[in-house]
Amino acid sequence: MIRPVLLILFLWLPVAAFPGHRMDMDSMVMNENPTRLPQGCAGIAGDRTITVRAGRKYAKPFPGVVFAYDQRSWEVPPCTRLTVRFINEDHIRHQFMVHGLPPDLYPMGMFTIEVSGPGEETASFILPPYKKTYLVHCDIAQHTEHGMKAQLKVAGGDGDLASLPGLTKPVRPDRYPTRWTGRSLLLLALALVTGAALVWLGRWLIRAMTEDQP
Amino acid sequence: MKWLRLSAYLAGIGCSLLAAWWLFPGKTTEAGVTAPPSQKWIPSLSETEEFCRFDHPEWRRAQTIEGVEIAADPECRPDNPYLIAAVVKGTNRVTMPTLMKTRLAMDAVVKENDRDGDGDPDVIHIRLEVGELNGSTPDGDFLIPGYRIAPGLTPGLWVFVPKMRGMATVDAVNLDAAPLLRAPSPPIRVEQGDTVYLTLENTHYLPHTIHLHGVDHPYRQADGQGNDGVPITSEKPLLPGERRTYIIRPRRAGTMLYHCHVQTDKHMLMGLQGLFIVEENRPDNWLQTFNVGGGKVRHPSRAVREKYAQEYDLHYQSLDKERYRPIQEYNDPRLVAKGMNRDYDITDNEEDFFLLNGRAFPYTLRDSLIVVEPEQKILLRVVNGHPHTLALHLHGHKATAIAADGVPLAQPVTRDVHALAPAQRLDLVLDTHDDGLHSFGQGIWLMHDHAEKSVTSDGVGPGGDIGLVVYRQYLGDDGIPKLQGMDLTPFFNLGMFQRQIPLWARSDAWEIFSDTGPLPPDTLRVILSGISLGLALGLTWACWRRWRQPS
Ligand SMILES: [Cu+2]
Repeated sequence: MIRPVLLILFLWLPVAAFPGHRMDMDSMVMNENPTRLPQGCAGIAGDRTITVRAGRKYAKPFPGVVFAYDQRSWEVPPCTRLTVRFINEDHIRHQFMVHGLPPDLYPMGMFTIEVSGPGEETASFILPPYKKTYLVHCDIAQHTEHGMKAQLKVAGGDGDLASLPGLTKPVRPDRYPTRWTGRSLLLLALALVTGAALVWLGRWLIRAMTEDQP
Repeated sequence: MKWLRLSAYLAGIGCSLLAAWWLFPGKTTEAGVTAPPSQKWIPSLSETEEFCRFDHPEWRRAQTIEGVEIAADPECRPDNPYLIAAVVKGTNRVTMPTLMKTRLAMDAVVKENDRDGDGDPDVIHIRLEVGELNGSTPDGDFLIPGYRIAPGLTPGLWVFVPKMRGMATVDAVNLDAAPLLRAPSPPIRVEQGDTVYLTLENTHYLPHTIHLHGVDHPYRQADGQGNDGVPITSEKPLLPGERRTYIIRPRRAGTMLYHCHVQTDKHMLMGLQGLFIVEENRPDNWLQTFNVGGGKVRHPSRAVREKYAQEYDLHYQSLDKERYRPIQEYNDPRLVAKGMNRDYDITDNEEDFFLLNGRAFPYTLRDSLIVVEPEQKILLRVVNGHPHTLALHLHGHKATAIAADGVPLAQPVTRDVHALAPAQRLDLVLDTHDDGLHSFGQGIWLMHDHAEKSVTSDGVGPGGDIGLVVYRQYLGDDGIPKLQGMDLTPFFNLGMFQRQIPLWARSDAWEIFSDTGPLPPDTLRVILSGISLGLALGLTWACWRRWRQPS
């Protein structure tokens, strides 16, 4: 009963699927584009393959982070055809989702690989020619917020994104308890002495300026 | 002499400053002969929502999708019929175009193996994830994914969600939660005797489990793995990024519960609780495995269809501002864990928000209506997810409790207030025969928890878990009940539950009840305090000049 149904489903799947979309039990790819050139690209400038690993263990080096990619920043030249081999090392879903791509080639400006559990999926897309930093993240509820966020720079990018684990500061950082250390106490003492010295210095300066006049 | 003069100046300045302070008009001013006029409240269009805006009116019709019959649901926002078809057939068996309209993962509900040859699958694999709604973000001052329980109200919530695919938000621009990702945790339906694999994929950043409350399940599985979901006794909490499968083969039918058993005074009450219904075994019994949304079961089981015209799941739950504060204040899971597990104290706090099927009034009027016809028998499966006793009251009817906690009552009880202890389930039969006992006739009848705080949202009412039983002739074709009471416009305004709008602002006699206009400050006080302040300034100036003069 089940097998013929599945067979029909899989035979029919490529017909039903939208171009650039693939989906099965283990993974999903949306807006794959290995051939169509973005506006302004005369041809594919080059092929580049990156392997991206996702999982809780990649968050370990960063206190307070729960989920992360093994790298959080990539740089590629304009018009590169980027092939992403996305490996999920957790037993839940994770995504490699790029935002801000030209919407004529990538609906909603997105390119997505989602892997349903432990496993991997590979897909390619072509980057536009202009200088830009693209957001890469996992859009499962609260995954971006807990570390699964990265950036992809084309032609050097147009800046860095916030709250990339180990790379950039959050827009809204958490606040933690303050504890004075020996170093901070020493700094305070030094600053006190400096303050006192500034009074003396100021007086000396004023005197020097007024008394020098004949 | 110089010092004497100086102190006289200072005393003068002090006295006049004191007088200015004392005479300065206060926050309120006494009225004269006539009180100030009323201020008329005019709703701003940008801050007032429509009663019913919905992109898919065609979802309300009775329809058949891929051979799955889906009953009509004429209210404003019915549940997605494609989702119903997908979970009835199984996400592994439904066609791709239907599945694409749901955001369900392909392995969310896997149905196979008709073991007893009665025409329905008997091995069911259900996968759940854990979703956070209205949590904080390190990327700015907003909550994500956004979820409103009522206009302007975005409390922090956790829910079990059918395994999804794609984004958690509507899209890349609209950061509201995708429709599938909502409260309550969805009611789950399985058939008596089915082998059910219930997999929890912990997509959240804190540990969780599933406890199958009242559902027939062994304490341990064949391989020794815990199957009870209790961190104290049977297993370790499931860590972020991990998954665990609970295996059951329930022998008895009934209305049960599933909930997270990690720190239940926090996790369960944050929303990790849902109905778990074991349906009686019948041939060709394709069940609606998930009932995501407003409660109406649009594809009831065979056994329910034999006896009842309709079936509804009613999930009551409440939220506490202090309990969810950490998830909206911190990102770091260590700060969240400390804030919840150690700073929060349930014995010192009161619940603030009261939900029926994941929403508070007036949103309950959009997707949680019970729409009835005369001469019907309707099954209501009610769960009390509040930490207090639920006193469920139906206007115009006396419903009959036929089962409690999944066990049929020897003596059914007919009354108009049904008490449910926390976590308790009641199967109620709503009988719409107009006989002066079970029903008093057609109309729009209120349904609510009679513990009065529950009909407020953070103390502002009417709000909370108010729902309606609406007879079909009292429901418009647009899904809006034909109400003839007060104007509800203020309740669809973002300021209502922020205490910014007078309750009877739209009454015909608004001038009696509306906010009063302000009064100008008392003239005498303005003049006198001004003079005193001027005196102080003048004295200061004179003093300064005196001081500078060589004596
Ligand atoms: Cu993820």
